[in-house]
Amino acid sequence: MLHLELLIQGLIYGSMYAVIAVGLTLVYGLLRILHVAHAGLFALGAYLGLLITNATGSLVLGMLSSAALVGVGGMLIYRLCYQPILNRPPHVALIASIGLFIAMEEIFRLIFGPYGLTYQNPPLQSQIALGEIHLRAAELGMVIAAVVLLGILSYLSQSTRIGIAWRATVDDSDMAKSFGIDTIKVRYLNFFIGSGLAAVAGIFISLLSNLVEPTMGGVPAYKALAIIVLGGLGNVKGTLIASLLLGVVEAFGTIYIGSILDRDAIAFAFLIVVLMIRPQGLFAGR
Amino acid sequence: MIKKLALIVLAVGFSIPVLSGSSHAADIIKIGFNAPLTGFAASDGKSASEGAKLAVEQVNAAGGINGKLLELVIYDDQAKPAQAIPIANKLIGQDKVVIGVSGSYSGPTRSAAGVFQEAGVPYISAYAIHPDITRAGNYVFRTSFLGDVQGRGGAKLVGDILEKKNVVIITLQNDFGKSLAAGFKSKAADFGIKIINEYEYSIKDRQFGSIVAKVKADNPDAIYASGYYFTAGPLVSQLRAAGVTVPIIGQEGYDSQKFIEIAGPASEGIIITTSLDRDSDVPETRNFIDAFEKRAGFKVDMVAASAHTAIMVAADALKRAGSTDPEALRKAIAATNLKASTGTISFNALGEVMKSVQNQVVKDGNWHRHSVIDDPALLAPPDK
Amino acid sequence: MGIYEISLATVVGINIILALGLNMISGFCGQISLGHAAFYGVGAYTCALLAKNGTPFAAAIGAGMLAAGIVGLVVGLASLRVRHDFLAITTMGVGFLFLGIVRQQEILGGELGISGIPSSGFGKIGYLVMVLALAALTTVFSLWIKRSWMGFAFDAVADDEDTARVVTVDVSAYKLAAFAMGTAMAGVAGGLYTYFARFLMPDDFGFITSITVLSMVAVGGIGSVFGVIVATVILTLMPEFFRFISDYKLLVYGALLFAVMRFAPEGLAGLAGRVFARTKRKARLEDEAT
Repeated sequence: MLHLELLIQGLIYGSMYAVIAVGLTLVYGLLRILHVAHAGLFALGAYLGLLITNATGSLVLGMLSSAALVGVGGMLIYRLCYQPILNRPPHVALIASIGLFIAMEEIFRLIFGPYGLTYQNPPLQSQIALGEIHLRAAELGMVIAAVVLLGILSYLSQSTRIGIAWRATVDDSDMAKSFGIDTIKVRYLNFFIGSGLAAVAGIFISLLSNLVEPTMGGVPAYKALAIIVLGGLGNVKGTLIASLLLGVVEAFGTIYIGSILDRDAIAFAFLIVVLMIRPQGLFAGR
Repeated sequence: MIKKLALIVLAVGFSIPVLSGSSHAADIIKIGFNAPLTGFAASDGKSASEGAKLAVEQVNAAGGINGKLLELVIYDDQAKPAQAIPIANKLIGQDKVVIGVSGSYSGPTRSAAGVFQEAGVPYISAYAIHPDITRAGNYVFRTSFLGDVQGRGGAKLVGDILEKKNVVIITLQNDFGKSLAAGFKSKAADFGIKIINEYEYSIKDRQFGSIVAKVKADNPDAIYASGYYFTAGPLVSQLRAAGVTVPIIGQEGYDSQKFIEIAGPASEGIIITTSLDRDSDVPETRNFIDAFEKRAGFKVDMVAASAHTAIMVAADALKRAGSTDPEALRKAIAATNLKASTGTISFNALGEVMKSVQNQVVKDGNWHRHSVIDDPALLAPPDK
Repeated sequence: MGIYEISLATVVGINIILALGLNMISGFCGQISLGHAAFYGVGAYTCALLAKNGTPFAAAIGAGMLAAGIVGLVVGLASLRVRHDFLAITTMGVGFLFLGIVRQQEILGGELGISGIPSSGFGKIGYLVMVLALAALTTVFSLWIKRSWMGFAFDAVADDEDTARVVTVDVSAYKLAAFAMGTAMAGVAGGLYTYFARFLMPDDFGFITSITVLSMVAVGGIGSVFGVIVATVILTLMPEFFRFISDYKLLVYGALLFAVMRFAPEGLAGLAGRVFARTKRKARLEDEAT
């Protein structure tokens, strides 16, 4: 019974991680960039979602508008930050992204204060019973959102023109261009979707803790990197599985070996072990 | 070659403005203050500096120190020990402060304490809990509880006052959480407490699903959980949401209105060991609470109160010493017997404070008095 | 020189050694390490434990250097299996793992860290001189490596591993050498920090520290010894410089990192190079005109 609960908790964490990490792996797959600032967009999404929900009383409105705004923010970051330095060595984009992330965290603190914001009437707090397991609505919502959104993403990439164009661009950008695919548009779409997903994740996570803080992107900033490597850089399905796996490992690990290692160390120990066995990650390539 | 010279000139040119000193007038007394104004601990840094600034304003409004005005020199240490050392050196060497006060966490406080001790300038720690801070030497004092001492108070609160015997401990994995747990465990048996299990979490965690599930399975009579408002708020809320209804006892890390905001209705009935009594009728405490809320615009928290207390102790010592001679000041601080917002402050031989523990409970969305622990034997801090 | 200037200069000296160590790994050999603070920590903790047990200064620092170098060798061996972006994340993982272990071991001080570390015996100014001397030594060493055949091999590996391998450069050996040397330097820096602060807490050696050192190398110009030194000086002194707008200093720091990478990706070294190439060219054109 307990183990089932831990497993479910793990899957809940895992789906949170998945929604964040997918955006990151999308960017890596396309541009080979470790987009640390993605975590800043995650936090921005949470802030906007909370503010709009508090102002309008509607979580749906908050979520949709935040996702859209943050999606645009992601596109802006691509245009202003990454596009000019695409042909530079990889550390350039990484450090630039880190600098941007630090700046974003500070801007949140300067504008919204260091104490963090809370929901006036936290939505989705009711208890839902699935047999003997009790979940909060927000937790269930998180999992459902993850399944739905990632399912849609998968469908889009397999069965629509834009999806195929995206996959072609990821595979071979030059060849895709020669086929008439607008690779620039694909990139913008990529950032829009990934950033929008991050915003949704940020909002759900803030619902679970009723707190939006300037530094809330800190852990996702490096945890998501670990996940996308674990899943095999650029591989969306791999990222999903790696996210769920990591969530479960952490859920059990924090209880049973929490006195030896802390949560981050458990996650990275797991990553290192996997990489030593399979250096390309769980699923290589795409 | 020229390129390298240029780089060197750039570095040197950059250093010069940094090293220029500051001026000081003759009838101003400077108190140094380090706090984490940026970084992950910025919320406590802000509270601490607001509390300190209020204290300085109040002292100056009442005539200063024998006519001289106090000036607070605040520097941001980002809660990093490595940053605190140059800051301490700057306060002593450049700003020539006569007393230093730490509004920061244990790491930077302990590093800075070593510097102040070596320079022979008194240093007062407002709320950092590390036991070795006062062991830096006889110039270092602490106006708040050691983690260990507060933990012992928690054991009495849970076992004796609340009479709960089967307890689960949830520990924040840092010096604060660990020393609280150690103190609690050291006295648990004395109060008939049986510790069923202990779980640990990281200061970055906000989701406690697995711990909550396990605690539910453990089915304790009470939970002793350490944390800060940004971890305790979510933790308490998630425990209650999962149907865990037993008393949850926390400590001064929870002591902020933000905790109540985050946990909402789940915060009702949560009890903490702390040093600020919201229902106090001691004028020093009452005046402080009202004045703080008016000045800062938000409700008082323990960190702000602690910083306020530390500055008041410094000011009081300055008045009694009648001079800024370091040794005279040190003696004056050691002889302190002052009523401040967080209790009556007096120090033992090590520079540790001896005062009673205020237990507060959340009632109707605010902190109120629950009980007081006045047990000098139990709460005795180490004296060397 | 007041105690403030001395303490600042000492920190700068320690950071220079730390940054040059990372420069050896990432700059010379192209392996991006996001966990350099772990080796800094290994050196610091080793030195601290020994110093508290009475080990003399030089031996304690030496032990720190050795310990960090050995751990670096082990990590370097792991790095042979993975490449590039994977390596960056793996080293980041090493950093978290190190911290995770230290935090939970009471022998290593756990969350409360290690305090009461004895003084080096040099006095503040003497210690500063010694730190700067070691920093100078590290600089000379880095330059020597860079200009030697080893440096050439490092360049080859950094540029294109596969081609280097074809030209029978023993890529693995050089990667390992770079790792071991760079981490040993971090170990020295760690030991020096131990005697400077005389108090260690796990947080001093976390991910943020790794990023800070990496930014010193990147802003300086990855691979450039003098560039890295200058960037280290500037970035270490920056928090002090910005005290009057201290509320914004982290923001400025982040913006600076971003701006340098965005507009001058080769760092200060690259910038200086460009400025002087232009002035030289202008001078030459003027010469030819007359």
